[in-house]
Amino acid sequence: MADVQTQRAFQKQEGIFQNSKKLLAKKTSKGVRYWKEVGLGFKVPKDAVEGNYIDKKCPFTGNVSVRGAILKGIVISTKMTRTIIIRRDYLHYVAKYNRYEKRHRNVPVHISPAFGPVNEGDIVVCGQCRPLSKTVRFNVLKVIPNEIIGNVRKQFVLF
Amino acid sequence: MGISRDSRHKRRLTGGRMPIHKKKRAFEKGRQAAMTKLISGEKRVRRIRVRGGNFKFRALRLSEGNFSWASQGVAKKAKIVEVVYHPSNNELVRTKTLTRGVIVQVDATPFKLWYAKKYNVELGPKKKDKKDAPAEQTKKSNSLQKKLAQRVKENVIDQLVQEQFSNQRLLVRITSRPGQSGRADGYILEGKELEFYIKKVEQKKK
Repeated sequence: MADVQTQRAFQKQEGIFQNSKKLLAKKTSKGVRYWKEVGLGFKVPKDAVEGNYIDKKCPFTGNVSVRGAILKGIVISTKMTRTIIIRRDYLHYVAKYNRYEKRHRNVPVHISPAFGPVNEGDIVVCGQCRPLSKTVRFNVLKVIPNEIIGNVRKQFVLF
Repeated sequence: MGISRDSRHKRRLTGGRMPIHKKKRAFEKGRQAAMTKLISGEKRVRRIRVRGGNFKFRALRLSEGNFSWASQGVAKKAKIVEVVYHPSNNELVRTKTLTRGVIVQVDATPFKLWYAKKYNVELGPKKKDKKDAPAEQTKKSNSLQKKLAQRVKENVIDQLVQEQFSNQRLLVRITSRPGQSGRADGYILEGKELEFYIKKVEQKKK
């Protein structure tokens, strides 16, 4: 089993008491796991309920609430630990020429280990939460697998 | 001093510099860290007036704390003996600094006494002449004896915690913030967490 305790401090879910007499009595118990629904009709991934990972920024098993904006974007980078960059494309209207121009924004989004490996090109639905780091204010709620031909960073996909 | 907690000195997400168009403000100021030291027998706490007229208690030297034995549901005041492990910085262990999250060894006698009173069982090293009969100085009524026997039957105590009693030291994790509240309180480690930290301490010793 992949070991969860890779850090120098003991990783655990805050607020869940794992050492009650009942649990101590059972020598090899799985322990209690805390998970919650995020609302707005989003399903809780099976791995969040049954898994072992500890992520305090996970919307299902951690201490963040999803409220505010819900965004959709396309994944362009998965190189960071537990966070991805998504690209959101939009059209900006220029009144003088009565036409639109393409613009985009890259948004760093926290992704919980509950979602399996995410690839570049997948479409992701993310919800706003409190600031999780200097630049991250969103959390992945749903991943829709998708194949992109060519370079993801050069595509324009409007949602 | 000049410790400021603004974000204006940092770069943007794009890497670009942020123009500095105002001076440092008083509401952004930070203070020096407390670096509470473990000095046996001493307690030095300074009261600091902070923003809004409120007070923070900066502990500079501490030797005692209130520690809870969560599975038993008690908390006792005990002496902190030694700093044993810190997940962020080994330097803090060497300088015996108390912060939140540090693992310390605590004197086990208050818990031993409480346990003896509640369950009539002596925890700790087995004495030569002692068998199963606990030190019974006082006469106990039948109903009290029955109550104690029932408690012992229902009780579960972690094996590793019990072993620690023989050394008169318990491993405890500090959960209060001594530089903010002026106290070093925490909980006795049990279960998987205890195994984890015992392993870490053994690794360090090597």
